[in-house]
Amino acid sequence: MVPRDGYGLIRALLASATLVLLHGARAAELPAAASRTIEFAREVQPIFQKHCFECHGPTKQKGGLRLDERASAMLGGDTHAPDILPGHSAGSPLIRMVAGLVPDLKMPAKGDPLTAEQIGVLRAWIDQGAVWPDDGVARPDPIRSHWSFQPVIRPEVPAQGHPIDSMVGAVQREKGVTPSVEADRVTLIRRLFLVMLGVPPTPDDVAGFIADTTPGAFERLVDRVLADSRYGERWGRHWLDVVRFAESNGFETNRERPNAWRYRDYVIASFNDDKPYDAFVREQIAGDGLGVDVATGFLVGGPLDIVKSPDPVLTAQQRADELDDMVGTTGTAFLGLTLGCARCHTHKFDPILHREYYAMAALFAGVQHGERALPMPPEQKEKVAGLDARITALEQKLTKFIPKPVTNVVAGARRPAVNARKNEESFPPAEARFVRFTILASSGGEPCIDELEVWSADRNVALASAGTKPTASGTLPGYEIHKLEHLNDGRPGNNRSWIADGTGRSWAQLEFAKPERIDRIVWGRDRDGQFGDRVATSYRIEAALEPDQWRTLSTSDDREPFAGGAPKPAGPIYSFDGLPESEAKQGRAWLAELEAVRQERKSASQTPMVYAGNFGKPAATVRFHRGDPMQPREAVAPGTLAVFQPLALSTNTPDQERRVRLADWIASPANPLTARVLANRVWQHHFGVGLVDTPNDFGKNGSLPTHPALLDWLAAELVTPTQSPGASIKAWSIKHLHRVILTSATWRQSGVPRAPMMRVDAASRLLWRFPPRRLEAEGIRDGILAVSGNLNVAPGGPSFHLHDVDRENVYHYHPKEEFGPAEARRMVYAYKVRMEQDGIFGAFDCPDGSLVMPRRSLSTTPLQALNLFNSRFLLQQSEIFAARARKEGGAEIAGQVRRIWLLTFGREPEPGETSEAVTFAQAQGLPALCRAVLNSNEFLFIP
Amino acid sequence: MNSFHPLLNRRRFLADTGMGLGAIALTSLLSRQGMLGASVSGREPLRPTIDPGRPYAPRVPHFAARAKNVLVIFCSGACSQLDTFDYKPELIRRHGQPMPGSDKLITFQGEQGALTRSPWEFRPRGQTGKMISELVPHLGALADDLCFIHSMQGKTNTHGPGENFMSTGNTLDGFPCVGAWVTYALGSEDQSLPAYVAIPDHRGKPQNSVNNWAPGFLPAAFQGTDFNATKPIRNLARPGGVSPDSDVATRGFLQRLNERHAERFPGDTALAARIASYELAARMQLTIPEIADLSSEPEHILRMYGADESGSKLKDTRAAYARNCILARRLVERGVRFVQLFNGAYQTGGEGVSNWDGHKDIFNQYSLHGPVLDKPTAGLLLDLKQRGLLDETLVVWCTEFGRMPTFQKGSQGRDHNPNGFTCWMAGAGVKKGFSYGATDEFGHKSIENVVTVYDLHATILHLLGLDHERLTYYHNGLERRLTDVHGNVVEGVLA
Repeated sequence: MVPRDGYGLIRALLASATLVLLHGARAAELPAAASRTIEFAREVQPIFQKHCFECHGPTKQKGGLRLDERASAMLGGDTHAPDILPGHSAGSPLIRMVAGLVPDLKMPAKGDPLTAEQIGVLRAWIDQGAVWPDDGVARPDPIRSHWSFQPVIRPEVPAQGHPIDSMVGAVQREKGVTPSVEADRVTLIRRLFLVMLGVPPTPDDVAGFIADTTPGAFERLVDRVLADSRYGERWGRHWLDVVRFAESNGFETNRERPNAWRYRDYVIASFNDDKPYDAFVREQIAGDGLGVDVATGFLVGGPLDIVKSPDPVLTAQQRADELDDMVGTTGTAFLGLTLGCARCHTHKFDPILHREYYAMAALFAGVQHGERALPMPPEQKEKVAGLDARITALEQKLTKFIPKPVTNVVAGARRPAVNARKNEESFPPAEARFVRFTILASSGGEPCIDELEVWSADRNVALASAGTKPTASGTLPGYEIHKLEHLNDGRPGNNRSWIADGTGRSWAQLEFAKPERIDRIVWGRDRDGQFGDRVATSYRIEAALEPDQWRTLSTSDDREPFAGGAPKPAGPIYSFDGLPESEAKQGRAWLAELEAVRQERKSASQTPMVYAGNFGKPAATVRFHRGDPMQPREAVAPGTLAVFQPLALSTNTPDQERRVRLADWIASPANPLTARVLANRVWQHHFGVGLVDTPNDFGKNGSLPTHPALLDWLAAELVTPTQSPGASIKAWSIKHLHRVILTSATWRQSGVPRAPMMRVDAASRLLWRFPPRRLEAEGIRDGILAVSGNLNVAPGGPSFHLHDVDRENVYHYHPKEEFGPAEARRMVYAYKVRMEQDGIFGAFDCPDGSLVMPRRSLSTTPLQALNLFNSRFLLQQSEIFAARARKEGGAEIAGQVRRIWLLTFGREPEPGETSEAVTFAQAQGLPALCRAVLNSNEFLFIP
Repeated sequence: MNSFHPLLNRRRFLADTGMGLGAIALTSLLSRQGMLGASVSGREPLRPTIDPGRPYAPRVPHFAARAKNVLVIFCSGACSQLDTFDYKPELIRRHGQPMPGSDKLITFQGEQGALTRSPWEFRPRGQTGKMISELVPHLGALADDLCFIHSMQGKTNTHGPGENFMSTGNTLDGFPCVGAWVTYALGSEDQSLPAYVAIPDHRGKPQNSVNNWAPGFLPAAFQGTDFNATKPIRNLARPGGVSPDSDVATRGFLQRLNERHAERFPGDTALAARIASYELAARMQLTIPEIADLSSEPEHILRMYGADESGSKLKDTRAAYARNCILARRLVERGVRFVQLFNGAYQTGGEGVSNWDGHKDIFNQYSLHGPVLDKPTAGLLLDLKQRGLLDETLVVWCTEFGRMPTFQKGSQGRDHNPNGFTCWMAGAGVKKGFSYGATDEFGHKSIENVVTVYDLHATILHLLGLDHERLTYYHNGLERRLTDVHGNVVEGVLA
C-alpha cells in the first residue's frame, strides 16, 4: 500500500499544503480525472513504462525520479518531491508536469505528450489514493532506518565499573585490542590542563598534584579545573569554530564588526557558567525573546557581502546567501545535518526535501545582519523615564519663549534655518485628527524624518503607542531601520527613522486615535547629530479635523535658508528678547536646566551595541527552483524537517515566534540529534576525533559511530544525568559530561603507542591508547606566553589586534610583526578577521570563520616551522622566557635548565638532558635554548 | 650539520623506530563507512594519500597528464575583453547607439549609456591574422601561440565573489583554490620549494586578497605561499641577532629534543612529520632567496621582460611586474607545481586605480595597465617557450569577469559583465593560434560554445591528468570537488 504513515504522510501533508494553495485553483486547466476505478497494473504502469521509464526507470533516474518502483516513486525526485500526492491529483507535481503546467519541466521531455485521457487516468488513480501494489522492492524509509533519527535510548551498562570503560572495553574485546595502563601523573595533569584549559600547568600545579597521594586526588583536580575560568576560553573557542564566528564581514570590503566580541564573551561565559545546553541553544536562536540579546550574534555570525548594487539579481542572490548561511549553520551546529545541500534540490542522501530547506529558510526570514542596541536594564529605563519627564516639563514651560512663525514673510524677522537635529514648530492651539508633513525639497537624497512629535500640552499625541497611525507617500524599500513605523515610535535617531522613497515631493501623515488639541510639533532628521543629509529644507505642515480639510500650521517659508554643513546643536532657539527681565531670567534658568538634563539623559540612556542582528517582519519565502533566486516558485510556510515531530507554522507567524518555535524544536530532549551531536563534539575535543568522525554530518553520508551505544549513553547522560556522586546535577550540563569522561580509565590511559596495536588501529579509534595530538594555533600561542610568564590573563572585552588595519572603503589588514603586552592576551580574544590570518599562527590550520569548521585539520608544514622558529614573536618570547628562568632558576645554568623543563614539559630533566642543555646554553645562550624548547614536539603536543 | 648529537643518525633513528613515515598512517581499522562511493558525481572519489611527513611528495595523476605544472596569470579588477582580445566589428559600426534591450538593463553600478567601441584599434596579428587590440601589441605578436576562449561565463558581478569563483570555483569565501586542489592531488616536483606559490602584484593584494590562494578546508599544507620579487616570505630569513652558527646549533638541539621525545612514542607519525617539516623549512631557507634573487639574470632577459627600464610611473610599474614575471619563470623552471601571478591590486591608498576595474575613465586607466601587462607577460611566454618549458607548463590567463560593451550612463568606462569575457591558455596540451567560443555581436553575452568557470577548472585538472569529478575532499558533510556538481572538460581547446 501507499506509505500513509510516518515520513510519507508527513511529506505529503507538508507538500500538499503549499501546492494546493498555489495550484489548486488552476485544476480547471487540467484534463478531467477519469470517473472509473483505476487499477495500477492495468492502466497506470503501461503509461509509465511507455512514456517515462527511459529517463525515470531502472537505468536512468533523471532529476532523481524513478517510476518503476513503488517506494522510489512515492519518495519523488530532487526538486518537487513528493511528486505523487495521494488524493490530490491537481496538486501532484507529476500531473502538473505531464499536463505541461510547469514551464521548465514539461513531461515527457522526449516523445509525444500524454493525451488528455491518459492524464485523466493518472489523475483518477492518484485521487483514488494512488494505490500501488507492493512490488517487493524495499526502499527503507530513511527516517525509520537511519541510526541518528531514532530516539536516544539509554543503553544498559554493567553496574560495576565506569560506564565509558565498560562500553569501550566491549568493543576492544570484540576487535582483539587491549587498553593501555594509566598515564603517569605529569602526563595526566598536562593533558588535563591542555585539553580543558588550553595552557600547560605551572610547576606548582604539577608538584601539588604529585604530592597529593590521598584517594580522589585526580577527581579533585578535575573539579578545580572545571571551576577555572580558563575553561570557557578554551572550549568557547571550539564552539566559535562550529558557528563560523568572526569580527569582519569577509568578501571584498571585509569591514570590521567592532561590537561582535560581545557574542564571543557570551559563549565563553556560557561555558564557564555551565549553562544548560538546551538554554544555550534557545538563546542563540531566539535570545532577544529571552532577555539574552547578545546570544543572537550566532544568527548573523557569518560572512556578509556589503557590496550593494542596483542590480536586482545580485541583491536577491546576496539575501539568499545570507539566509543559506543561517539555515546551514543552524543545521550543522545543532543537528549535525547538512541542510544546505537541499538548497538546489532534495538532499541526495538525507530525508531533507528541497521544499523543507525553504521552510527552514522561512524561519529566519525576519533576521537581518547588523548591530542593535542592547535593551536598557529596568533601573536604567526608570532613570531615563524620569529625565524624559523633566525634559518634557521644561520644554513645556519654555514654549512661550519660542518666536511665533511669521505669516508675512516680507515684513517679519525670519526664523532660524532648519536644523538637521531637531526643530520645533509652535502655533496657536488647533483641533486636529490628522497632521500632514509635506516635504518639497531636501538637503540631499530622499528626505528622512527620525521622529515626528505632535504635542498637546504635555502629551506627545503622535506616538504609535497612543494609537496614532502613520501613512506616507512612500518608504525607501529594503531598510529595516528606515521603515515608516519608525516615524512615531518614540525613538529618534537615524537608526529608527523614516526615509521617503523618492527625492521629489513626498509626505508623511499621522492620524490620531481621536481629535486632539495640538499646539506644537517637533521633528528632526537625526537627533543623534550624525547626519546632515536628507534634511527637509522646504516643507509645509498642515492639520485637518476631517479628511482633506487641510489648514497650514507652519512652513519653511519664514526660515533662513538652509546652509547645510554639520548638524547644529539640538533644540529651538528660544528668544528672551524684549521680555521683562524677571520673565527672561526665569526663562534662561529653565533653559540652562533643560540643557543640563538633556546632557544627563544622553549619557544615561546609552546602551552597548552588539552585532546580533535586527529583527523585522519576515519577507515572504518562496522556493527557488535549482536554488536560483531568479526562478522563484511556490510560497513556502515556515517549518522544520520531517525527521522529528515537524513544526509547521503559518506564513503570518511573526519573526520572533518562528525562531522561538525552532529553538524549542531543536532543544527538545526528544530531538534525536541535538544531544547526540553535542555529546560527540565534547568527545571529539577530548580525544581529537569524535565517536562520529563527521561531527557536522549525522546523516547518511556521514560516518557511523565507532561506539553507537556509548554515544547514546553520553547523549542520555547529558539530558538526564545519573552519574552524580551526591550532588544533584542539572539536565544538559556539559561540565557533568566532562566529569564523566575525565574520570574514565579510557581518558586517563597512557598515550604511548604499542606496536601490535598500531598495526591494527594506528589512529586509536578503538581507544587502546589516548591519542596524542598537536595543539591548535591558540594552544601554541597561549602556551608560549604562559611559560614565558608573559600571558596577560585579562578576560573578555574588545578584541586585541593581530593586524594593523587600513580602514578605507576596502579594509586592508597587515599582520603585525612586533608585539607588546596588549597582544599578550589569550588568542581567543584576538580580533578575528575573515580571510586574513595572523602572520605566525594562522598557518597552523586556523579557520578564518568564512565557513563552519567542525574539526580542524592538524597539518604539518614548513611554513609553520619557519614561523615558529624565526618569527620576532618567538625570539622575543625566548628572551623573556630566558630572563624568567634566570630569575627563578638560581645562579647555576643547571637550575635554569631545570626551571625551563618544569615550566614547559612539567617534568624534571633527565640527567643526560641536563648536561646536553647546559653545554648548549653555555655555548649559545639561554634564549637559544628557550627557542629550541618552545619549538619542541614535547611542548606542542597534548600528551 | 643536521644533527646536534654526533652519535645519532637520523636515518637510523627512523629505521629503528620500525616504520617509514606514512606506512602506518594508512592502517586504520575503522574507515569512514558509508562515505566511499558517495561523492556528488556518483562516481567513486579518488582521494590522494598524503604522507604527513612529505605532504609535497610527487603523486601520480589519475591518467596520463599533458601538463606537469600550471602558471596562472590573473588580472585583478576584471579586464575588459572588448579592449584587448574580443574583436567586435559591430560594436565599432554601432558606436554611440543604444544597445538593443539595454534600456531596462541594470548592471552592477546601474544604467547603461551607449555602445562604445574600444579606443584602441584592432589589427590582424600572426599567421592566423587574429584581430587583437593595439593596447597589447606584444601579446598580439604571440597570437599564433595562444588559445583564446572568448565565451567565458561567470556567476556574479561583484569582485569579491567573482575572484572567489575564478580562484576557488565557489562565489562564497572559504573554499580551497585551484592551486590548493592541484598540490593536494599531485604534490610537487621540487622538495626544497613550496609546491604552490602565489606572486601578488608589487602594489598589493588582489580584490579578494588572500582568498585567491587560501587552502579553504584543505589542510594548511596546500595553501599558496605568497611572495614576490620585492617582498620575501615572512619569517624565512634567519632572525636578526642570531648568528649562522647559533642558528644551526639551535636547530640541531631542537632535533635532539624531538628525537629523544619520539623515542618514547615509537611509530607516531605526527611527531616524525614535524621533525621532517623543520628540515624542509631549512632547505627552503636556502633555496627561496636564491630563486628570488634575480641578479644572475642576464641583461637581454631583463630587457625582454621590460625589467630594465625605470624613470616614469609606467616604466617603474612595468619593471616591477616584469620582475615578478621573471620570478614566475624561475619557479616554473624549478618544478613548482602551481604558480599564480597577479597583475593588479587593491592597494592601500589607491583604490580602484591600480587594477583593471575601469568604471570611470577606462582610456586613461588602461593606458597604464595595458602596457604594464603586455610586454612583461609576452616576455614571460617567450622565455618559457625558448627554454622548452611551454611543452610541460600550462599557462592560463584569466580575470574575474568581463566588462560591458556600453559605457556606463554618465561615465567614461565600462561596468561589470559576467555574461561574456575572454580567457586564454597557452602551452602544454592546448591548441595554438586558436579561438574557441564567441560572444554576441557586441561582445556582451557568450553565445557560442559557452565555457563556464567550472568548465575552465575541469579543463585545467584534465590537462594535469586529474578527473575533476573524482578528485574530492570530505568537508562538512560533502565529498567536495573543485567543480562542485558542474563542469565539462572543454575538449575543443585540447591539442
